[in-house]
Amino acid sequence: MKPLHLTGIASVSPYGVFQGVIPQLPLEARAVTNWKTEGVRRAYTVEPFRPVEFVPGIKTRRLDRLSTWALVAASLAIHDAGIDLTQVDRSRVAVIFSTSFGCVEHTEAFFQSAAVRGWGGTDPILFPETLANSPASHVALFHQLRGPNITMAAKSFGGESALLQAASLLRHGQADVAIVLAGDVLTQAIYQWYEAAGMLSPECFTCETANPPSGLIPSEGVAAIVMESCCRSTARTYARLIDGRWAAGGDALAGSASGDAGGATLQSIRRLLGERQPDFVICTGAGAPCNPCTSANSVAELAGLATLSSVPPSIPPERFAAGLVDTGGLFHLILALRGTLRGTPHGESVHGASALMLGTSGAHGHAALLLEILPV
Amino acid sequence: MSDPKQTIVVTGIGAVSPYGVGMAALEAGLLAGQGCIAPAGEIYPGFVGSVARVHELPRLLSRFLPLAVAARYSRTDCLAIAAAHDAAAGLSADAELMSASGVVMASTVGGLCELDPSIAGDPAAWYRGHSLARAATYPVSRVAESVGEQLCANGPRFAVSVACASGAMSIALAANLLLDGAVPLMFAGGSDALCPFTLSGFNSLQALDANLCRPFDQGRKGLNLGEAAAVLALETLAHAQQRHAPVLAVLRGWAMGNDASHPTAPHKDGVSLASCIRAAIQMAGLESEQIGYVNAHGTGTPLNDIAEAHAYDAAFAERSEPVPVSSTKSYTGHCLGAAGALEAGITIAAIRNGALFPTLRLSNPIESSRVHWLSGEVRRRAVAHAMSVSAGFGGSNAALVFSEYPAEGHDGADGKRRERA
Repeated sequence: MKPLHLTGIASVSPYGVFQGVIPQLPLEARAVTNWKTEGVRRAYTVEPFRPVEFVPGIKTRRLDRLSTWALVAASLAIHDAGIDLTQVDRSRVAVIFSTSFGCVEHTEAFFQSAAVRGWGGTDPILFPETLANSPASHVALFHQLRGPNITMAAKSFGGESALLQAASLLRHGQADVAIVLAGDVLTQAIYQWYEAAGMLSPECFTCETANPPSGLIPSEGVAAIVMESCCRSTARTYARLIDGRWAAGGDALAGSASGDAGGATLQSIRRLLGERQPDFVICTGAGAPCNPCTSANSVAELAGLATLSSVPPSIPPERFAAGLVDTGGLFHLILALRGTLRGTPHGESVHGASALMLGTSGAHGHAALLLEILPV
Repeated sequence: MSDPKQTIVVTGIGAVSPYGVGMAALEAGLLAGQGCIAPAGEIYPGFVGSVARVHELPRLLSRFLPLAVAARYSRTDCLAIAAAHDAAAGLSADAELMSASGVVMASTVGGLCELDPSIAGDPAAWYRGHSLARAATYPVSRVAESVGEQLCANGPRFAVSVACASGAMSIALAANLLLDGAVPLMFAGGSDALCPFTLSGFNSLQALDANLCRPFDQGRKGLNLGEAAAVLALETLAHAQQRHAPVLAVLRGWAMGNDASHPTAPHKDGVSLASCIRAAIQMAGLESEQIGYVNAHGTGTPLNDIAEAHAYDAAFAERSEPVPVSSTKSYTGHCLGAAGALEAGITIAAIRNGALFPTLRLSNPIESSRVHWLSGEVRRRAVAHAMSVSAGFGGSNAALVFSEYPAEGHDGADGKRRERA
């Protein structure tokens, strides 16, 4: 398959608002202050910021945080890619946005207006903004992007599948440039659902760090990556996407435990790799911070990487990105592009290396993308 | 259409509509000219309007799903599961193929139909008093997960939520995945249930007609909401031929685009929609002259219908004869995320039955130089190529071109020569 170029990156996250790779910064979960809690509740939350300081001319007064973040991240990623939209056929620019909960803040506000005034008294301005495709639509509207505008969701692998959907559009000539976005906002209703379901880490309820870390610390944010089918002479390319696939079912580790190392997941990854041997693995995956990496390493090993002299080093999933649950995939990649393989003996550079971005989620399947990370 | 590996065909269609389960019930209703929009009754205090409702869903579902299992799913999920089982029923797909197959389902309502306003005030109390499982139906991906679980389809699974263009886009994206060779069989469709949230929302926008909608009529006042699910089974022609699967139609072209002009209103001249229609026809390798029928988005709202008419005028400007167009939302109501998939099924039904379904209650159509607005009786006419057009809030547009299979004078997978009646 023809490689596709990842030329622009931006993000709105608990780290802050960044065009390009997120710098190495300390990050801790913060106490939730957006709603009243009984005792401490911690999460990785995005600090308020003024969008116009990052994107001149942007108007976000009527937008919820998800649409605002998508618009800011998309705008900065386009700028990071060095794309002059006045020189581009905007009907050839696609927007692909992956979200698990969509515009849940406006949905909750709409429900609240119905609770106060009845279903007959709801707000007509609010209603269209409750739709999950609002953020992607605002990106299109602000930048006059008339290409395919797709909002989608995939359990555990929303970010990864958004990248692959974008790749599919580009390879089939349905767009030349794709703005790929993934993310969610955290609200009281979502946090309390995780809590009631018993999914949260003990660290959500105390300032002490659990060792070993376990469970979910919920988070929020939106990441953006610009993908292009052609390499512009003026463009910097962070990475090239070679190929990828994802599937919903098939627990590779369950297969290995039963002595069946030829399960559907492993076959899929082996087909993806062919004769190629990636230099390192970027572990993705939702929820708990440790198991996805262990699983990813195990799956990588089972898929044939153990034929190397050693299993390739891996970049574990960062807890903040794992806290996005279904939509952390782009953040996992962006954070990996920071440069070094932390935890390896010599802190080898990821640049100029090939990477297998691999996430497993038990019975919910896997996502595997093969990338070449280019030298800085 | 020359390369069977690059030709996408439809080998199964499932539907749950106000007519019942299955395409046969839907086709019979359309051919009889019977709409199923009726006064809604009191969905919430003060609501006056008409809807197209799926009646006796638990009974319809019992063919596919034990009621105890159905309780885990939202109404949107249940509609989708029933339609997906209906699509799979005639496929003759073995367990291995089903396991490898993928699912893409569209929805705009999703699990919202299971929630009520009190959840926003005190979510924790709502979870204690109701159930976590009901709230768990809310995530956008849920409807695709539900269908995948029930079909044991373990390939790529994802959901699409692009307002009223969702259903058509799910089919287009499934076709892309098949062309990628990523999956041997895709179940693609859409599902949405009626619920107070959307009725209230459209009512607040004054987009509903309290009476029966009149798409493309100069006296149109708005839309009626409906509920439905439809699922198409798609695979490459090469794959279908290899397993001797009957082919219902060819998905010959598709395109997606965006107006980028307004958050809710379509571009008044339908410029981007016209581009989308042209792109789909071009991908199909056809001339606009060859499109024998257009199943329009045709909601019945003042803004949509005039913009759509302008789009047809532009996209079909080169034709010598006006293009036949109708809106079957006058029968089924506007089924939101399911609409594009349901209308794709109806478009295929038009091809397979040689029937052009008229728009109901269309007496004084919008003036258009390039459109033949279908009204009155069903017209019997061979249709080789037909198009389904969808649009939605946020400016998204999608167009799908379907063609008969086999093409006239060509041999089918069964070796029999197809001759047009």
